[in-house]
Amino acid sequence: MADRTLPKLLQTPAVILLLIWMIVPLSMTLYFSFIRYVLNNLRRPEWTTPSLSNWRGFGNYEFVMNNKDFVLAMTNSLFIVGSILVLTVILGLAIAVLINRSFPGRGIVRVLLISPFFVMPAVNAVLWINMLLDPVLGLQGIAVGGINDMIDGLRDFPVLGAFFSLWPELEPISFRATQTSAYAVIMMVTWQWTPFAVLIFMTSLQSEDQQQKEAAILDGASNWSQFINLTVPHLARPIAIVVMIQSIFHLSLYAEIEIVSRGNGNKNLPYLIGEFANNNIGAASATGIFAVILANIVAIFLLRMIGKSLMD
Amino acid sequence: MAAITNQSRFGKIAWPVLAWLVALIFFFPIFWMVLTSFKTDADAVKPEFLFSFTPTLENYTNMTDNYDYWKFALNSVITATFATLFALVVGVPCAYAMAFNPSRHTKDVLMWMLSTKMLPAAAVLYPMTFLTKNFLGIYDTHFLIILVLCLINLPIAIWMLFTYFKEIPKEILEAAKMDGVTTWGEIRDILIPLAWGGIASTALLTFIFCWNEAYWTVRLTTTEAATLSKLIEGNRAPEGLFFGRLSAVSTAAVMPIVVLGWFCQKQLVQGLTFGAVK
Repeated sequence: MADRTLPKLLQTPAVILLLIWMIVPLSMTLYFSFIRYVLNNLRRPEWTTPSLSNWRGFGNYEFVMNNKDFVLAMTNSLFIVGSILVLTVILGLAIAVLINRSFPGRGIVRVLLISPFFVMPAVNAVLWINMLLDPVLGLQGIAVGGINDMIDGLRDFPVLGAFFSLWPELEPISFRATQTSAYAVIMMVTWQWTPFAVLIFMTSLQSEDQQQKEAAILDGASNWSQFINLTVPHLARPIAIVVMIQSIFHLSLYAEIEIVSRGNGNKNLPYLIGEFANNNIGAASATGIFAVILANIVAIFLLRMIGKSLMD
Repeated sequence: MAAITNQSRFGKIAWPVLAWLVALIFFFPIFWMVLTSFKTDADAVKPEFLFSFTPTLENYTNMTDNYDYWKFALNSVITATFATLFALVVGVPCAYAMAFNPSRHTKDVLMWMLSTKMLPAAAVLYPMTFLTKNFLGIYDTHFLIILVLCLINLPIAIWMLFTYFKEIPKEILEAAKMDGVTTWGEIRDILIPLAWGGIASTALLTFIFCWNEAYWTVRLTTTEAATLSKLIEGNRAPEGLFFGRLSAVSTAAVMPIVVLGWFCQKQLVQGLTFGAVK
């Protein structure tokens, strides 16, 4: 008996640490979400210290739910996470299959491909929104300007010029508007996390049953049907893992939203919490509880479903 | 059969070219950042200097003159290293217990651990600042950053280690137990050597995540324990105009970890399966 207890006890430090890490701040958040608590209020200075006498019941929750940004933030959170998941899985599959065969320089290709995964999210956002996507100074602006100049030049050509003069001037897209900045966020996170998907898919492609594949080729199966009928089912587990780990990370996406969308109306739940927390801790805490609930719903659907298959 | 050989001859050229193209597209933003870091701020936004320009180290010297880059970098190294070490010290025994002495609740405990990562940090930021500043007095210390980095990465680390340990045949450990090896001896002499690849790649991934963390490290520090993410935070404010400077700071913050990733990519690839490969 004794030799079974000690090994079991070995998990307690981790469990206790995580329990404290979760429960202490979470219960404070829960407490703050039921009281009036603001950082600055000259008229009601008593609200600036947390106290039970400022009890507000579900008032903060009502306030948050009636806030016009709340539904937007909620749907945006899901939209951004969902889009990133779909894009990274599709791109990851395509690229993993592409580099699964051997060819000259495969090692270097692999190193180049996985590099984005090592880039700091904050740098990623700064780099994309300024140097790549900026409509004037970034590469996008420069490229659009270059294409426009080229078409302008072609307009002076005899005969062909008439054709090119029908072409419209291209307009660069500003990625700092409310909706487009969500696309920019999706783009940059997809760039960063596709390599992760590629890594995981690649490893499991290498364990694919080659004999089964050869048999399929002899039976005259096309490449496409091999891919759909043999490779994709083989990759079900890795796809589940990619989806799960990425949902864990992207539900709390913050740095990218903050850098790309500051003040333009595009927000997700964590960002909305950050906005409230500038002054209204009560409302921020209530939003935090909503975010926890959302995370739990996703967790129940996702982690449980996938978790089952992972444990056997 | 003819169709297959034809296609593969075409494929021999086309697939590698496509693979190279995709790789170059993915790498391009990083290349562009490094390239821009050697341009002056004025040159960086001029189309005529896209690729031909006079390289300058001005941005880097400016950075080291104006900011204590080495202090930020040292803080990043210290916090990421110790957080990774602590995560392993706590995580390896935990994963060992889960993999070799599982109970009915093991799966639930593991899933619960992962779910702690889904709590938005913003929801508990204020309590954390409040506690660490007013009660514990550990705000802006290396200790706090190490602790937080360790805790936020612990669930993923434990999961990775767990999937690794599960692949090790139980019989090996049981045979050792018969020979009277203690639990600690089991971990040290059998488990760690056997699972070395998995432990190394767990350590690598944890280190990368610690290095890149930019929520807590920015908000729980001011100067003493500020890491490279804080340096980025302080430099990104003037949008658009200072591409050269911005690129230099970004390159200096990102390159150590990218290069480390390059050198260890084989190791990382082997370990990054999360139990997906049977």
